Amino acid sequence: MSIPNFTTELFRAIGVGVALFDAEDESLIYSNPAFAKLFPDAISGVALTSLTEELDQTAVDRALAGETLEIAVKVKRRRVTLQIDVRNASHLERPVLVVECQNISRLRETEAMIDSYASMTERRTRELEREKVQVEKLLLNVMPRSVYEEYKSFGTVTPRLFEPVSVLMLDFVGFTEMAVASDPTETVSELNDLFTAFDRIAELHGCERIKTIGDCYMAVSGLPHSNPDHARLAARCASGFLRYLSHRNKTHRHRWQARIGIASGSVVGSVVGTQKYIYDVFGPAVNCASRLQSQSAPMEITVLEKSAESFGDEFQLGNHRVEDLPGFGKCAITSLELPDAGLVSVA
Amino acid sequence: MTYALRPGQMPLFDKYGGLSALRGVILDFYDRVLDSDIVGHFFEDVDMPRLIDHQTKFFAMLLGGPAEFAESRLQRAHAHLGVTHAQFDEVAALLRETLEAAGFAPDDCATVIQAVEARRGLIVA
Repeated sequence: MSIPNFTTELFRAIGVGVALFDAEDESLIYSNPAFAKLFPDAISGVALTSLTEELDQTAVDRALAGETLEIAVKVKRRRVTLQIDVRNASHLERPVLVVECQNISRLRETEAMIDSYASMTERRTRELEREKVQVEKLLLNVMPRSVYEEYKSFGTVTPRLFEPVSVLMLDFVGFTEMAVASDPTETVSELNDLFTAFDRIAELHGCERIKTIGDCYMAVSGLPHSNPDHARLAARCASGFLRYLSHRNKTHRHRWQARIGIASGSVVGSVVGTQKYIYDVFGPAVNCASRLQSQSAPMEITVLEKSAESFGDEFQLGNHRVEDLPGFGKCAITSLELPDAGLVSVA
Repeated sequence: MTYALRPGQMPLFDKYGGLSALRGVILDFYDRVLDSDIVGHFFEDVDMPRLIDHQTKFFAMLLGGPAEFAESRLQRAHAHLGVTHAQFDEVAALLRETLEAAGFAPDDCATVIQAVEARRGLIVA
């Protein structure tokens, strides 16, 4: 096969559209089938600039200066994106323009698809991120952060002994008889208000709320990070609760009075349950705090006489007595007096 | 999710290889829809990126990919088009052809077509 014949055959076979135009009047001399498919009107003699509106003289000049053009043509219903290169050449000593034309629609369509998919997944990621924050917030409500981190990493929480800690147990006086108790909506709203304030006070004094059961609120100091000052912190927290209630009762319709018990000792903390799990602590200190709480008069903080020293000088002791605490026998107990509010039991 | 997944069942979008594998299938469907004499005109003057975006989301929605559209949104988007039952059938048929050509299992094809059918009331005027 002679070289000119070989070239013609090659041009016919390739998928790239190739056409030769006269360099002077820019009229079509030759086009291969791929080119004709893209420009069905491109018959011999047609001017390069009349092929499509976007390919005007300025565009041709830019292409001749070396720029690769990207133009859109409509083939039936579809907008086809073409990449066009125009070069000067000579054919049989006649100056010609070689126009090379590639259909890059698939490339652009794929890019558009990836953009679309990326925006979908980004949106999905943002949604998941938001959900994750919500779940984290919820879980942090039922367990301390360090426990949550352990749960997140291992999917389980190993029961852990915390020693020593102080357990604070608070219960409201005459809750079931209160007018607010007959309206569940108002009960929730009031308890939410109170417990939210308690959470803030507890945090301020380095205590961790463990749980609430109905109108009962339980917090622990010295957990999850041990603190030699745990008893003093629990006492400050308890007096903070009572001061808050006294202050709130002056302006609110519902008057809340609480009994508080504080006991020190060791507890085991763990997540209980698999589906509806809750973080809880167990141990004699929990039971003792509960018994002491029930021994308290309204707005009184009761502690064991033997552990009174650990509350430090900032609290005076009063109302010394001996009571029979179920499960603990006869115990000497006392009340904590607040430095600036007298005996706390005097509301 | 557009169809009920059994526990542990993978969405079809992932089962068939995610976007990298479904790219060709989506573009094939795009071609078939544009070439259709019954529904092609709907897409005649739509920008290519918008149309591709539409088809990508359409597939992701039907195959349990990362797109979900509220019924009200689908209804609103099609309300002004006046889509007929015949046109809806055509799109469903083109989709079936596309999925079959891509080697989707008959059960999976049926699941997707079912997901399309479930939306007939929202799309047809």
